[in-house]
Amino acid sequence: MRLADLLSLPLVALWQQKTRTLLTTLGVIFGAFVLAASLSIGDGVQKTINREMRRVEFARRIEVSVSWGPAAPAARETRIEGTFNESRRQRLLKSQQEMSQRTRFARPKIALNQERLALIRALPHVEQVVPDVNDHGFAILENRSVNTTLCRARPDDETCKKRVVAGRFFESPAENAAVITEDLAYRLGVRSDAALDALVGTPLVLEFRAPKTEAPIGLYLANQNGDMTLETQQALETLMDRLPDSLEKLGLSTVAAAAIRGALKKPEEPTKPMPTTRETLTIAGVLRAPSDEELNAPHEYSVMHAGVLLPYETAAAVFFRGPDPKRKEGLNNASVLVDHEDHVKPVLAAIRGLGLEARAMVQFIDRQRLIYLLIFAGMTCVAAVALVVSAIGIGNTMFMSILERTREIGIMKAIGADNLHLQLIFLIEGAVIGVVGGILGLLLALAASYPGDSWVRSMVNRDLDIKLEDSIFVFPPWLAASVIAFTALVAILAAVYPARHAARIDPVKALRHE
Amino acid sequence: MLKPEPESSAGEIAIRLRDVKKTYGSDGAPVHALRGVSLEIGRGERVAFMGKSGSGKSTLLNLLGGLDRASAGHLSVAGHDLGRISRRALARFRSESVGMIFQSFNLIPSRTALENVELPMIFAGLAPRDRRALAAHALEAVGLGARLDHRPSALSGGENQRVAVARALVNRPRIVLADEPTGNLDSETAETVMTLLLEHVAQNGTTLVLVTHDEELGRSSTDRVLRLKDGQVAQ
Ligand SMILES: Nc1ncnc2c1ncn2[C@@H]1O[C@H](COP(=O)(O)OP(=O)(O)OP(=O)(O)O)[C@@H](O)[C@H]1O
Ligand SMILES: [Mg+2]
Repeated sequence: MRLADLLSLPLVALWQQKTRTLLTTLGVIFGAFVLAASLSIGDGVQKTINREMRRVEFARRIEVSVSWGPAAPAARETRIEGTFNESRRQRLLKSQQEMSQRTRFARPKIALNQERLALIRALPHVEQVVPDVNDHGFAILENRSVNTTLCRARPDDETCKKRVVAGRFFESPAENAAVITEDLAYRLGVRSDAALDALVGTPLVLEFRAPKTEAPIGLYLANQNGDMTLETQQALETLMDRLPDSLEKLGLSTVAAAAIRGALKKPEEPTKPMPTTRETLTIAGVLRAPSDEELNAPHEYSVMHAGVLLPYETAAAVFFRGPDPKRKEGLNNASVLVDHEDHVKPVLAAIRGLGLEARAMVQFIDRQRLIYLLIFAGMTCVAAVALVVSAIGIGNTMFMSILERTREIGIMKAIGADNLHLQLIFLIEGAVIGVVGGILGLLLALAASYPGDSWVRSMVNRDLDIKLEDSIFVFPPWLAASVIAFTALVAILAAVYPARHAARIDPVKALRHE
Repeated sequence: MLKPEPESSAGEIAIRLRDVKKTYGSDGAPVHALRGVSLEIGRGERVAFMGKSGSGKSTLLNLLGGLDRASAGHLSVAGHDLGRISRRALARFRSESVGMIFQSFNLIPSRTALENVELPMIFAGLAPRDRRALAAHALEAVGLGARLDHRPSALSGGENQRVAVARALVNRPRIVLADEPTGNLDSETAETVMTLLLEHVAQNGTTLVLVTHDEELGRSSTDRVLRLKDGQVAQ
């Protein structure tokens, strides 16, 4: 038999039973439609998520933080005085220890210091390390000083760029420049528009001092008259040094004097003189205060409210040159940008290997993705079941049609049809239904993707801050090929039994069959 | 289509049966349709089988046509040992070496006269153009040149049987087996059909085996009449 005839005989048979063929094929079309649609959305949603994430570099970020260890050990050993039974003594000791722990600060297990930042920067695939520097010190302009908060900024910070009212924003993360707010300039004595514009290019001095006491009396005074100048701070420190020796002159009661002396008691080990550092930077620009709108948008609090901004590498260098306790304890956080989202996981592991804590948004997104994946896997299973059901339909219809055509099959055998021919003819009948149903189902899914897309787009535009440009339905060639191949396979499998039955028909009996 | 007789050394013998038996049914209730038939039919010879209903005539014809296999004995048709050849070779034998005509026409109702005649050539692997021409020619030869595109339901009994004759002869088989070809036809139509058949047989030197209940027809249209009785050839 010729190949063309092997194809045309089944086609003619299908054509002669149009209604039956149509109904059988409808089942396949439906199964193929659901299969194609679910594969298409599944793939499209994955691609959309990836594309959106690449756009916002959100997926490439790792937030590094230190892990906090137990509090520093108490300077003095906790003792329980008096006579108590042993179990009560233990209980009292325990609560005393807990109390003293609570009043001391916890220390990071591993400090996020300059060496560790350098190690992170040296990891493969790390593109950028932005240390999270938040500090306070004194800003000094000519002979006026005022206390201020200080924060690091990224040169590509769009909101900050928009706030520039004089000069410019940073050009590189390591330039020796600072940007200050209008408000700080005013507090430093600038009193005209011209003077404010003239600040650009002039030097700004920053002074950092280690705090002398954990109960700064200065806070109380600062609240009374607004600003704290360097002079006030120095005066307060002198006052605190001299106060214990001058208590008698204040005419306090003995009890009150003793209480204050106890509170001001210096640590037992001799104190080193606390270092003070000074930095000189060039003012690159002046920023206005953030607008309400800018404050309502997602933002980083410290960048929006700091009086002085430094480019992030300069900020880290300044921080680590600062007075001793800072340098020792390091930073709390840093933000790492990886070159590609696929490399986030190894970098995460490497940072954790340094003893630091690290989290990536990608992990949350992965969980999200897993949920999508499960949903689409479920849909695909439903589609597969639909196809199997339609396959049973194909098998059933073909079997019925073969029973009806028993005599015809007997005639074909009598005039020379081979078993193999008949088997092939019916298998091809099944395959034709499968392929045609697969193609139509695929086209239906393709057609449905247009209204589907605009529906999804209107929903996304209404509820989310994402602008969808591309379709969330994708039909790559592999998808089309596998849907058609799968439906054809299912249909052929459904035809195997009827085809074998047809081939085995005994022509003598079939011809007797009326 | 036509191919050289593989066993031309067998001389003039087209059909040879040696103690052929056919038993139907289970071991419990066997039906012995043929109880040992031995006969020889020469090439180009015309033979009629006659006998009572149930004597095994159709059974014998089905064996000769390769539609069924004998239960025992040796059966050689047109040089093929039908007891030995493979199923595929048997299908080929049916397509190329024999043409069968049945009492009930056995045309495919959904296909036109032309398509019905074409069908054996499809299984024989002929090109569409060739087989269409041959089928049309065969239908013209039986006087149906104007009815090529009619389905069997639109044709009379005699016309249908002429289509069946055309289909049986179109592959130019060496042997034609006809099982009561005129059984469903009135005498006039029967004569037309028989004339067409006999003309073809005469022209091509075809061997003809005809099963009939009609004494007159059997004797007038064949060289030899064999009688079957209870599955055996009566002397
Ligand atoms: N498939 C079968 N199963 C059982 N018995 C069968 C089968 N086919 C035929 N027979 C029996 O074999 C015997 C011969 O049947 P066959 O059809 O050959 O008779 P026939 O001579 O052609 O009769 P008729 O003139 O009525 O057509 C009959 O007794 C019939 O019942
Ligand atoms: Mg009979």
